[in-house]
Amino acid sequence: MIKYSGVNKWFGTLHVLIDIDLEVATGEVVVVCGPSGSGKSTLIRCVNGLEPFQKGSLVVDGVSLGKDDAKLRHLRMEVGFVFQSFNLYPHKTALENATLAPVHVRKLPVAEARARGIAMLEKVGLGDKINSYPHQLSGGQQQRVAIARSLCMQPKIMLFDEPTSALDPEMINEVLDVMVALAREGMTMMVVTHEMGFARKVADRVIFMDHGAIVETAEPETFFTAAKNERTREFLGKVLQH
Amino acid sequence: MLLNLNTRVMLEFLPEIWQGFLATLMLSAAGFAGAMVLGVIACGLSIQPARLLRAPAVVYIDAVRATPLLAQLYFLYFGLPRLGILLPEMLIGVIALSLNSGAYIAEIIRSGILSIQRGQVEASISSGMTYLQRMRLIILPQALRPTISPLIGQAIVLVKDSSLLSLISVVELTRAGQRIAVERFMPVEGLVATALAYLVLYYLLKLLAGLWSRQNRLPGRA
Amino acid sequence: MFWSQLDRVMGYYPVLLKGITTTVSLSLIALLIGVAVGFAFGIMRAGRNRPLSYLVGLYIDFFRGTPFLVQLFIIFFILPAIGIELNAFTAGVVALSNMAACFIGEIVAAGIAAVPTGQTEAAAASGLTKAQQLRHVVLPQAVRIVTPSLVGQFVLLIKDSSVVSAIGLLDLTRSGWVIVQSVPNGLLVFAIIALGYFVICYPLIWLSRRMEDRGQAAIL
Repeated sequence: MIKYSGVNKWFGTLHVLIDIDLEVATGEVVVVCGPSGSGKSTLIRCVNGLEPFQKGSLVVDGVSLGKDDAKLRHLRMEVGFVFQSFNLYPHKTALENATLAPVHVRKLPVAEARARGIAMLEKVGLGDKINSYPHQLSGGQQQRVAIARSLCMQPKIMLFDEPTSALDPEMINEVLDVMVALAREGMTMMVVTHEMGFARKVADRVIFMDHGAIVETAEPETFFTAAKNERTREFLGKVLQH
Repeated sequence: MLLNLNTRVMLEFLPEIWQGFLATLMLSAAGFAGAMVLGVIACGLSIQPARLLRAPAVVYIDAVRATPLLAQLYFLYFGLPRLGILLPEMLIGVIALSLNSGAYIAEIIRSGILSIQRGQVEASISSGMTYLQRMRLIILPQALRPTISPLIGQAIVLVKDSSLLSLISVVELTRAGQRIAVERFMPVEGLVATALAYLVLYYLLKLLAGLWSRQNRLPGRA
Repeated sequence: MFWSQLDRVMGYYPVLLKGITTTVSLSLIALLIGVAVGFAFGIMRAGRNRPLSYLVGLYIDFFRGTPFLVQLFIIFFILPAIGIELNAFTAGVVALSNMAACFIGEIVAAGIAAVPTGQTEAAAASGLTKAQQLRHVVLPQAVRIVTPSLVGQFVLLIKDSSVVSAIGLLDLTRSGWVIVQSVPNGLLVFAIIALGYFVICYPLIWLSRRMEDRGQAAIL
């Protein structure tokens, strides 16, 4: 589904992605973790073209990411992205947020888009908030609307960039529960997160990144109990404290 | 063809444009100086707790900001003689410019002072400073920084406003351009030369503003 | 003496009325055209097309850096030279609208830049084209951000409209000029004129201030 081959990216002279080789199969859930600045956000932002890269190739759902804008738009219909800062449209209700893209990109009739929107919002537990504006919702609720918004496009892949990092602790679980349900339904997911409990529950693989390179890849149990690399163990030591 | 005429003929008018340019420069500088004095005084009054002191400043500022400069200019030009005060047009013009810009400058300085966070005021009060000490050592130095940029902006406005003085027969840049346009039947050359001369002043002032904002970038501030 | 003069001035009531009507209609038309063209300028200034943004920027700079009086003379005296005949009112509308568009253009460009980048990213990530992003996500938010400034701009327009009296257009300022020829009490006549402007402008200034204070809370 997603295949990185020798992907390299520089920000000026800073080498932010170093020789990335990675494959994500359909239905797989991959968790990416690592310290700040390790390049993990940049890694997944490449998948829907939010970050261009200078070297290597990245094929997503059969589309090779390059300069072709038209193809990129089509790809983005199939790839959902959930941001750390939610990025909900403040001037639109939850339902309007969810139906904007289906109507204007997938060209769905408004009634059908609304039905789908209501269904997705109910799925994330916000059926009673369809006409609320983002500023009337809590952080956890806003993020769930953001997830519903992406799901309304019926994507093949869902990308999550530290979805719970901006939330107060008591709201993290409501968002993670939605993500777990999604994973169990078979969605292909790449998730950048520090929430190791989530990784243990549903991840097929956990990837540790440091300074732009993939340091270690393993299945969750192996990763958490018997990490091979020194740096991985060091990172886990710090993160799993609390 | 129209463009060829331009440059040669415009150079012929250079002396007149230059005289007008200098006159505009002096009128604007005088107007700005007067405006600064009025602005500081009006601002000082407008932040006083005593209503009696605040009122005249507020009335002055609101009245000036809600009426056009031209109306104010005519008010002085036609009105002062009624009071028996006969002044040369140039002086009337400078007074009008000062009164007008003074109100805007008062608001600019006021914004600067109000932008100082409460914490600064509270900290200085807690360390036992008097009102004057607070103003002199803590508030005003900090208030000055954010006002420089808008003040340069007001200077730009003032330069453009000075063109209205041509309507009461003051010799300055617009009048020079108008004379070339109307009396010498060269509207394009005259007016374009005038416009370019104003643009020179505009870009000079913008340059000044740019230099200041670069100078002003403190570490730790957005 | 004062009351008899006041009486005479009030006798010129039709002139004053025409003056106010001209001022208000001129300003309103210029505002509408200025907003429409100004938004176009703003979008071009904030857009990706660098050469276009630069050219529009030069055009805007010309009209922001020169006095309105000079612009008015240029339009009134030069356009006929290339074949476009204008009466005073039309010249006034053209000059005022153009200047309004230039100032509003910069305001709109700043407003667009003030919309958080996360918004464009989210919109792009869901597959919307640049035009769709602008229409559904960026512009609605930019409009909310700039509306108080636009009200302020309208006040400036009304005040700048007084300059059209220089080409003989009978607006509120010129009506004062006309009346003072017959009733030589400059203080009285122009105090009345100033009052006229004050009555029109002050509510708008008050509105703009209120919007600025309220706006901060609602947008966030």
